[in-house]
Amino acid sequence: MTRTRWIFVAIVTVTLLIVAASLIWRASSGSGDDLGLTVERPDTVTVRVITALPVEPWVSRAAQEFNASNPTVDEVPIQVEIIAMDGLAALGRWDRNDFGALPPDVLPEELTEAERQALEDFPTAWIPDSRYLVELANASYKERLGRDVFLTDGQYRARPIAVSLFTWGIYESRAKVLEQALDEISWRTIHDAAVAKGGWPELGGDPSWGYFKLVVPNPSKNVGGLAAMIAAAGEYYGRTDIRVEDITDPAFQQWLGELMGAVTDFSSASAYTAEDFALFGYSVGDGGLLLESDLLQNMQGILTRWEDPLVLYYPEYVTWFDFPFTVWVGPETSALEKNAALEFQRFLLSQAQQEAALVYGLRPANPNVAVDANPESLFVQWQDRGVEPVVPRTTAMRSPDRDVLLALLRWFELNVAR
Amino acid sequence: MLLGGMVLFALCFCSIVTVSIGGRIIDALRSDESQAQATPAIAWAPDSAELTVAVSPVMAPSLEEMAQEFNRQKRETPDGQTMRVTLQPLTPEQMVERSLGQTPFQAIAPDSSLWLTQLDQRWAELQAGENAEAGGIPPRRVSDPVRYAVSPIVIAAWESTARELGWPDRPIGWQEIQRKAQADPNFKWNHPSTSHAAGILATLAEFYAAAGVTRNLTPELATDPAVLDYVREVEATVRFYGEGEEVIVQRLAQEGRDFLDAFVAQEQTVIAWNQANPGERLVAIYPAEGTLWADHPLALLELGPGDELAVTDNQRRTFRAFADFLTGEEAQRRFLALGYRPANLAIPLDGPGSPFAESDAVDWRQPQTTLQMPSAAVVDVVQNAWWYTKRPTNVYLVVDTSSSMAGAKLERTRAALRAFVTQIRGNRDRVGLVEFGTGVKRFEPLRTMNDAGRAQMLAAIDSMEADGFTALLDAVYEAYADLQVVNDREAINAIVVMTDGQENDSSLYLEDLAQLFQEGETPVVVFTIAFGDDADEDLLQELARIGNGQFRRASETDIEELYRVISTYF
Repeated sequence: MTRTRWIFVAIVTVTLLIVAASLIWRASSGSGDDLGLTVERPDTVTVRVITALPVEPWVSRAAQEFNASNPTVDEVPIQVEIIAMDGLAALGRWDRNDFGALPPDVLPEELTEAERQALEDFPTAWIPDSRYLVELANASYKERLGRDVFLTDGQYRARPIAVSLFTWGIYESRAKVLEQALDEISWRTIHDAAVAKGGWPELGGDPSWGYFKLVVPNPSKNVGGLAAMIAAAGEYYGRTDIRVEDITDPAFQQWLGELMGAVTDFSSASAYTAEDFALFGYSVGDGGLLLESDLLQNMQGILTRWEDPLVLYYPEYVTWFDFPFTVWVGPETSALEKNAALEFQRFLLSQAQQEAALVYGLRPANPNVAVDANPESLFVQWQDRGVEPVVPRTTAMRSPDRDVLLALLRWFELNVAR
Repeated sequence: MLLGGMVLFALCFCSIVTVSIGGRIIDALRSDESQAQATPAIAWAPDSAELTVAVSPVMAPSLEEMAQEFNRQKRETPDGQTMRVTLQPLTPEQMVERSLGQTPFQAIAPDSSLWLTQLDQRWAELQAGENAEAGGIPPRRVSDPVRYAVSPIVIAAWESTARELGWPDRPIGWQEIQRKAQADPNFKWNHPSTSHAAGILATLAEFYAAAGVTRNLTPELATDPAVLDYVREVEATVRFYGEGEEVIVQRLAQEGRDFLDAFVAQEQTVIAWNQANPGERLVAIYPAEGTLWADHPLALLELGPGDELAVTDNQRRTFRAFADFLTGEEAQRRFLALGYRPANLAIPLDGPGSPFAESDAVDWRQPQTTLQMPSAAVVDVVQNAWWYTKRPTNVYLVVDTSSSMAGAKLERTRAALRAFVTQIRGNRDRVGLVEFGTGVKRFEPLRTMNDAGRAQMLAAIDSMEADGFTALLDAVYEAYADLQVVNDREAINAIVVMTDGQENDSSLYLEDLAQLFQEGETPVVVFTIAFGDDADEDLLQELARIGNGQFRRASETDIEELYRVISTYF
């Protein structure tokens, strides 16, 4: 070979080596402009569900069963992760955009790797206590993004997975005295007991009981507290539709203030108020308006821990929680994640899971499942303590709008919490 | 010869310079090290699974036992990190203060939920600007609160005392205890400081009694002069102001039956005392007007806004795992055995082996009623009003500034004294300073802790210098003698004496001082602090005994905290 040919071969060899090295480096570093063309299928699709506290024990148990059944969506395995959070706390986080929803002018494909990773924990679905919280979150995002983020129709629409309502739970010894001294259990009766200057002795009760003590959840910590105040307003005005001017009426505020003045401790009234009721017994509350499912779950604990059983009474104006399973429809989660969330929603609405909800004192969303469909149903177990399979009075309160809720919260903060 | 001398001189000079500079460098390094120890940098890895929990002192021993058991299980996060829980005892009040900024702990376990409310409220106020934009739902600093054990707050009394009061045949109220304390000078009672739930309750009960109500206590009512007068009179009967019930119990164990007749504590303290101590038992009096619950929540801090180090996903997993562990069957039965009421409602209190079933010193059917916990704003008034209604204090800080205190020790001492003087908030309290080395080097008489008095005292502290020997007893005598001259018997009169060495320069002996203490007309309490390993602990313990006070050990890292704690006694 001539010297020229040697040089030519050397140049070609070096060139080939450079090209090969370059290709190897590109492959190993993972960089390249053509990545966007590749459709990546994840090994697992994770569904993160923010779940209201009253249904969390049931939903968590269901999630364990669902995950154990090796579910898939488009042949990709699904894993469901439950994040327990009070509805009001979740609404606050949506309101403040704590989860990091993208601004309307930013597309997911424009994000950097770090920004994409930040979205990895974005919730796929939300089960709040009531559909009105969904409407409030939508209203907040409509201002920010100009569109709804939780749909109310179509395949991703919010679907209730179980229902429960607010009922009176009163210690039997106290309930007897109240009914004898005043009238049937209602907000009016409770108000009269609350303002009795001489406390229980004035009402004919035991002096050691002190004053009448009301239990309602702390409205700034637990959406149940707001529901209780809305129910009280319903009975005060004798109608189901409560407006801002009703809340700001001085006469109503005085009446509500007298009621709330009978609550002994809003600081320890955490999100789990029915549990507080059982844990601290009649020492912190003689009776209160709480979620039926929470009360039913704690009936046994009350019997075990205190001598006096609890009795349930249904109010005239009923506030329902419908626990809607709501899928986030924004671009922060993939279509695969959204469809996987729907798979879990279907699982919760299955006959078996609806019957399992009865063990947690929840009424099935599926009307074909009776409340005595499960032998372990709490509705069967506590029938002699006042629980009714069919709710006797059905004047349901309408969902309050955002301004009404905020007016109530403001009133509470200024007049009770402070 | 001259040359030799010059060489020798040069060598000596070089040696001195070298030693001096070297010493300064070493001192500087030590000082830096000491400061680094005192204020450790807050940092954890992004995948850290180590959870630090600030816990109230009253629960710390029980929770430590549980945390050790949890750590022994070596649980792992999905990415293979070992979960670990460490505890940091702090008063609930301090937890709230520190949780408003970046903290080295990610979770808190105060003695009552009232502190969580206070923290959330103060956090919401701090974040008020953002909140206004967000639409009115306040952000929270704490999340996922879990209760693992509860205990009602009671008046713990010796059985003989309780029977004199009418136990168990009739209900006994706060007001009876208050009246008894005012009428009977031999009746000794106590309650913890308002940094603890039990202290807040006891003080709140005084406010309720003074206002003649059992609910709807408003800030206006709480600050009414007549109400404050009543509270002041009752507080004047309190034997000494403690840190928490764990310290009261410690002193009860040290000093025996006659130390106190009754004190405010959680019900569990009564059970634990009776389990550990033969002899006359304590019984729990559930106040007729109502009580409060120490409900022991465990809650996660939502760290992360702004530049804060956020709680990691693994720390959240550790938190949940630890919460599940504490509320699990085994831990719950352990809490019951320790005298708490378990949060697990499936566990009966009157079952076999339960401490509630075995004794009538406590009654699981009680309490029948609770006092109304006022709003956080009123609690704040009660906490602050306490400073102005408690007994005034005359306290002398007797401080060793002998040569061994030079360097970082003196610097830490200055910081500790500054913290002490700043902590004294009531403008009826007076503080003096006796600095000693070879004899008494400086004597600053008692000054009222108003702005001017505090500024003068801080200036005196800043100008302290280390040199000389250790005339400890002479310095204590100077302080004692002045308190006798002042002769203010309405006030708590106290001496807080600190030394890092051995007494070696006083003209007085300990026996002389003991004799003088016996002869003195104004009672003086003496707290002694052994700073470091070289202090004469025997002497200090004896001095505390003679002065009816307490002996404490301190190091450079905790001296400031110790002075802060002692300040809560006044």
